[in-house]
Amino acid sequence: MTLRRAGILCLALAANPSAGADEAELAASGAMLFERNCSVCHGDAGGGQAPVFPALAGNDVLADLPLIVGNMHLGVGYMPPFPELSAEEIAALATYIRTSWGNAAGAVTVAEVSLLLEGLDAGAPTRTIWDGVYGSAQAARGRLAYDGQCALCHGRRLNGAAEDPDMQSGPPLARVKFLREWDGRSLAVLFDYTRAAMPLANPGSLSDGQSADIVAYMLSVSGAPPGPEDMGTDREALARITIAAEE
Amino acid sequence: MGRKADPHAKNTTVETEPAEPASGISRRGFVAAGAAAGVGAAVAGAPQPTAAAEGEDWDYEVDVVVAGGGCAGLTAAIRAHDLGASVLVVDQNYDLGGRMLHSGSFLSLGGGDPVQMRDMAGEADPDGYITVPPVEDPAEVDDNVELLFTDVTDWSIVDTKAQSPYRYNERDMMRSWAENCPATRQFLMDNYVRFTRVNGTHGGGGVSRARAPYCFLMLGDVTDMRAGTITAEDAGVAHPERTSALAPVQMQDASSFVAPGAVRNGVALARPLEFSAREKGVKFMLHRHFDELVREEPFAGRVLGVTASYSPRHDPKTGELLHSYWQRGNVDERRERVRIRARKGVIVASGGHAGNPEFRGMFYPALREPAFPTSGYALQGPHGQDASGIIAGMKVGANLSGMQQNLSYPTTFHISTRLGTRDAYTTMMPGHPTFNFRGSAGINVGNAGFEEFIAVNQVGRRFFNEVRLPLRPSINRYPGGEAAGLPNAELDHVPNDWRNCRHEWIRQMYDYDHGLDAALAMNEGSEPPNYYSGPIWAIFDQDAVERTGWEMRFPYVNEDNGYYFRADTIEELANKIRAGHPFQRVPLVHLPETVATWNGYVADGADPDFEREADAPMNPVSTPPFHALSIMVIWHDSYGGLRVNGRCQVVDLHGQVIAGLYAGGEAVGGFNKHGLGKGHVHGYIAGTHIAEEMS
Repeated sequence: MTLRRAGILCLALAANPSAGADEAELAASGAMLFERNCSVCHGDAGGGQAPVFPALAGNDVLADLPLIVGNMHLGVGYMPPFPELSAEEIAALATYIRTSWGNAAGAVTVAEVSLLLEGLDAGAPTRTIWDGVYGSAQAARGRLAYDGQCALCHGRRLNGAAEDPDMQSGPPLARVKFLREWDGRSLAVLFDYTRAAMPLANPGSLSDGQSADIVAYMLSVSGAPPGPEDMGTDREALARITIAAEE
Repeated sequence: MGRKADPHAKNTTVETEPAEPASGISRRGFVAAGAAAGVGAAVAGAPQPTAAAEGEDWDYEVDVVVAGGGCAGLTAAIRAHDLGASVLVVDQNYDLGGRMLHSGSFLSLGGGDPVQMRDMAGEADPDGYITVPPVEDPAEVDDNVELLFTDVTDWSIVDTKAQSPYRYNERDMMRSWAENCPATRQFLMDNYVRFTRVNGTHGGGGVSRARAPYCFLMLGDVTDMRAGTITAEDAGVAHPERTSALAPVQMQDASSFVAPGAVRNGVALARPLEFSAREKGVKFMLHRHFDELVREEPFAGRVLGVTASYSPRHDPKTGELLHSYWQRGNVDERRERVRIRARKGVIVASGGHAGNPEFRGMFYPALREPAFPTSGYALQGPHGQDASGIIAGMKVGANLSGMQQNLSYPTTFHISTRLGTRDAYTTMMPGHPTFNFRGSAGINVGNAGFEEFIAVNQVGRRFFNEVRLPLRPSINRYPGGEAAGLPNAELDHVPNDWRNCRHEWIRQMYDYDHGLDAALAMNEGSEPPNYYSGPIWAIFDQDAVERTGWEMRFPYVNEDNGYYFRADTIEELANKIRAGHPFQRVPLVHLPETVATWNGYVADGADPDFEREADAPMNPVSTPPFHALSIMVIWHDSYGGLRVNGRCQVVDLHGQVIAGLYAGGEAVGGFNKHGLGKGHVHGYIAGTHIAEEMS
């Protein structure tokens, strides 16, 4: 925290006695939103996963509010867009990450975020994975890709049981436990995580189309029904599909 | 089928086999007695009485006897044969390959070996099968012998259970091992073994560089070891519930490390090596258990040979004698006991002691419990990993090494996530001749599956948080990092750095729950004199089956083999387990009460005994039918064994070499390396030096 910024924060707190309480409230709801939306890639403690997912702890870029609001809403690089997050939610998240893990970029108000969001489009309605969001032929393609790229660690039955008994059992990629882990997140988060971080031995080696096919296969094994069209690789569209644990 | 066209294939006639190479093996007993001439035709060469053997009653003579046909033994046999020795391998099993055959073929060598060099240059394999780019960056495979030796003797490394895998390794042996890694890799490639791209390093192989590729074959129209192809049927990938006589474990997709159509596992290592050995003229005596070493004096003089006894394996259903997949070079010998003279010496490569409960009880007394086997129980039979090589060495005065290292490797013992079979370490489907020894393939539920049931001991009581029960400490291997117990990852790792094991770091990364120890704890069913802890069971209801999709049917489970039970009431389930499981020595008297208590905890949302609610949702056990699947503790591999020098010669308690006695692989101690890399290099070293011995 620079001296100048610290001084402004002190002035603000002095001028508005309730500001401290608002900030604490924002940060608390931001923490919940972070756990649900962000921690998969940026880590529970904001440590990220080098080299693909940047650390948020100690990240100077957080001082640039227009940039981080834009990134959350529109996505950037491997980070998916989160078009469903409201100004209140973005303010809460921004406050949380800018004031946690030693960061001192300061709290953010809802008004500031609303102003920044005004220029950005309002978005389309949200669907869930239970609304037929992938094609059945796509899931069949995904199975082939999965068997070659994923099954070694996550098991041919997608239950996390590694094919090679010397290997650690990994997280399941389908059914109850998988859906519980990803409940409430968007398909864009899952898609981006998959194409950026997997397979562990050679991350980034899958094409975007393969990643989408594999996600489609995971959904099909989880019982989500196929629909008329393939799941695409457009992250704006994927960001509007929610992974819901139950139909 | 390609196998029919192959001159080395099973059931081919003698006429289609190439001429037998001169073996140098003589068969004194049979020929002298003038008996069984027809059977004796299987062995070439006239009897060759030797002066050294006079006065001894030998049944066979050969330059080199190799005890055990696994990764160390097959490599040693080929190497010694290449250098001019006649070689006879004796193996207790009906087929060759040992546990190499069911392995993942993750063969960690290094030191700048030819596969590392190939990947560093971005080149393909000699056949041109590999089309994917290297998985590792050039710097990650830029290795040398000095760095490898440093890595495998690094005192500073601890794993997430605070065990030290390298600290106690034997220096002389490790130096020689590191120096011979590049040559061994080339040797394997010269004997039809094909390696994928390097992908990290296997446990115990150091953490500074990536050193381990897998072995692969390409799916094709014929099974041809020379060409490196295998049919989908032989690879066990044509049907999800079938495997083959060639491949006990279904081969796995290796497309991301080779090219589309590539498959990998120990089949792609063991079978090419075996094929090469048979083609070159190595002789094999199967169904033959290595018993004892014959030394000039009980504790002095040269080792002259071995005694070995008939250990036939018969199909448990048909009673038929099992036959090896390939037969060329087999010596069909069925006498109860034979004495085999080894003119140059004996190589003990007969494996470790994880399959011998009395022996392994030296290290973890609770694992004297015979309910829990070693891995490969069905494939290897009752004599697999029975400590025979170590015991035979001890009887002629051999020193031992690294016995405490049994306790310092994560795979030594653990709880398997494959339920409902005694043979719980690996998968194996019907189609392999030893499937009937296991009777069921089991259901691999993964760690995640353990939240779906309650785990109870032999008296029907819960004993641990089920979700944490199967967790294992992670293995130290490249690319390192906190998950492997190391403060730095990839090329940032610093060997022999005190910060790798400073206590603040260990407190931070320690990650182990002692579920296994709880599973082996004494309970009210533990009776003198052995105080066995007894079997453990996963108990769940039909709702769990619906939630998980577990397929409660053959070949995954088998209601007749004693490892799966189903009943409409908990009381009936307990009675069935008691009556049907071979190691259930007492009734599960507490099971009904345990289930009732658990269902109350589920209703309350809290488990005061083991705090399950903190780790995963809790589900009641209330909807019939009720199911019970066995949970197995597996002692996989052992790390204590014979002490050898850098030439793989066994030394005695005075530090003196026992002339004519070599050892390799899991029979050797003092090297906390999991798996194949240890055995192949030992075999290469032992085979090299034994060939130089005077006959």
